[in-house]
Amino acid sequence: MTALSLDVGAGRARSVQRAFWQRPRPVTTLLVLTVTIVALVFMVYPSICIFYGSFKIGGGVLGETSGFTLANYRRIFASGFVVYTLNSLVICASATLVSTFVSVCAAYVFSRFRFAGRRVLFGAVLLGQVFPWIVLVNPLFVAFAKWNLTNSYAGMIFCYTAFTIPFSVYLLTGYLATVPRSLDEAATIDGATRFQIVWRIVFPIMLPGIVATATYAFLLCWTEYLFALAFLTQTGMKTLPLGLYQFFGDDRVDWGAIMAASAIATLPTLILFLPLQSKLTSGLAAGAVK
Amino acid sequence: MRGERRFIALMLAPAFLILAAFYAYPTFQNAAISLTDLSLLKLRSGGSFVGLDNYREFLTNPEFGHLLFNTVVWLTALSVVLRILIGLGMALLLDSPVLARVRLSTAAKLAILIPWATPPIVAVVIWRFLLDAQNGTVNAILLRLHLVDNPVAFFANLATVWPSVVTIIVWNTVPLVALSLLASLQSIPEELNEAAALDGASRWQQLRHITLPFLMPTITVLTLTSVFSTFNNFVYVWLSTGAGPGTFTNVLATEIYIKAFVDFRLGYSSAVGIVMALVMAVFGIVYYRFVTRNELQESL
Repeated sequence: MTALSLDVGAGRARSVQRAFWQRPRPVTTLLVLTVTIVALVFMVYPSICIFYGSFKIGGGVLGETSGFTLANYRRIFASGFVVYTLNSLVICASATLVSTFVSVCAAYVFSRFRFAGRRVLFGAVLLGQVFPWIVLVNPLFVAFAKWNLTNSYAGMIFCYTAFTIPFSVYLLTGYLATVPRSLDEAATIDGATRFQIVWRIVFPIMLPGIVATATYAFLLCWTEYLFALAFLTQTGMKTLPLGLYQFFGDDRVDWGAIMAASAIATLPTLILFLPLQSKLTSGLAAGAVK
Repeated sequence: MRGERRFIALMLAPAFLILAAFYAYPTFQNAAISLTDLSLLKLRSGGSFVGLDNYREFLTNPEFGHLLFNTVVWLTALSVVLRILIGLGMALLLDSPVLARVRLSTAAKLAILIPWATPPIVAVVIWRFLLDAQNGTVNAILLRLHLVDNPVAFFANLATVWPSVVTIIVWNTVPLVALSLLASLQSIPEELNEAAALDGASRWQQLRHITLPFLMPTITVLTLTSVFSTFNNFVYVWLSTGAGPGTFTNVLATEIYIKAFVDFRLGYSSAVGIVMALVMAVFGIVYYRFVTRNELQESL
């Protein structure tokens, strides 16, 4: 009871505060609700199609909506989708680890030291955020061909590490600004070396920020398409996004397989995204997210 | 403070070595390749120097205007404007006490997250399915409402192909805008609106003179970042239309890919890339100034 009455009270206070929507008339209420429901259907229905369709023969296209089947999943795993998924896991996990490690180092320095060239270097990192990656594909392809890095884990890990560093540094620098500097200073007085301060004191405190950044980096790699398309041509090396689009045949589209593959591609992002998103929408972070 | 400088260099070196190898070196390589007739099929023998021929060919090609128009107007301007406007509308809606009263605020916020959590590669799949000519849900609805007599082939029809691509982009990217604007909206001091209401300002006056000016910095940042990510985007157009029908929806990013990996003309393709990077550089300077001046100086 107490909780309920508190809630009602809070609701009333809120409606007074939000002057723009003050004292909504019944017409307004109805209008707001209708628009909201239409908007929500528009937002949610498309994604639900994927999961629903993945359990239907033919991907749940109209008229074929009866029954529940795992045949689509069985079919894609029989056709080599396991290999694509494993390739994606290895490449993305390695890239995320390397990228997060070097980004933590750089972000720590950017947030704790004032040095000549700091603004220029930070600006250079930000530039990577707005760089047209497609422009890098040709020269990287030439270089990769020379050093036998096409169709290799190493080449892909290098690309994914590099393209996640800019926003990782940006997010982590913003996050470090919220970790009080007095901690570092106290540790210095206690005789800790600089590296000890970073890894023993600051690292544990900023772990939530690091986990959020790493998760976002992983998700970006998990669904990256362009570099994979250009640098991975052997079937055994392909990643999940490439495998997904293989099911679009020239004359026939296997919607069932596509829905199942899409569900596998989306599930990790849905699970990891919910706890992550509040960190990404907060003012400063918005600039780092595409 | 020599120890301090060594520490700074040591901590920055790994990140900057990787960035230099990935961004700086290839950019210069790209410029060099753009001056040759290098072919993908003859990588080993290399290309021969042709000066600015590739640039001349690209810039005087009648296709150039079409490409630029597609990239700037259809792909970038239209989808960014729609995403900001719809995002703003959604943010205002989510902030409404009507939703709070019927306990829908949290559910609505969660629902809005779903398209954002959907990867672009899957967003394209979904809409290709929904807009499919034979089995698509959208056609089924249109037919049942008797709005069309025959199913529409959305991605094959010249009149509907760009609106379809823009729909995919807006659907996938509007949540970030909506939720960012909602966060700013809820940080507006309540006294401002209360004082305005006491002075007799109408809702629309409050929206125009209090809410919008307050949201402006967020809107500006969101617009700039959206412009970059959309202008540079390859996936949406390539996976939904493959630049077709024909080359009708070809944009700069897909042109670079097609010239290099379908026509095997690496040299020419690199020249297109340089032109694209130059167009972006103009925006880049604006972005750098804005972000460093307003956002980072406060936080750093």
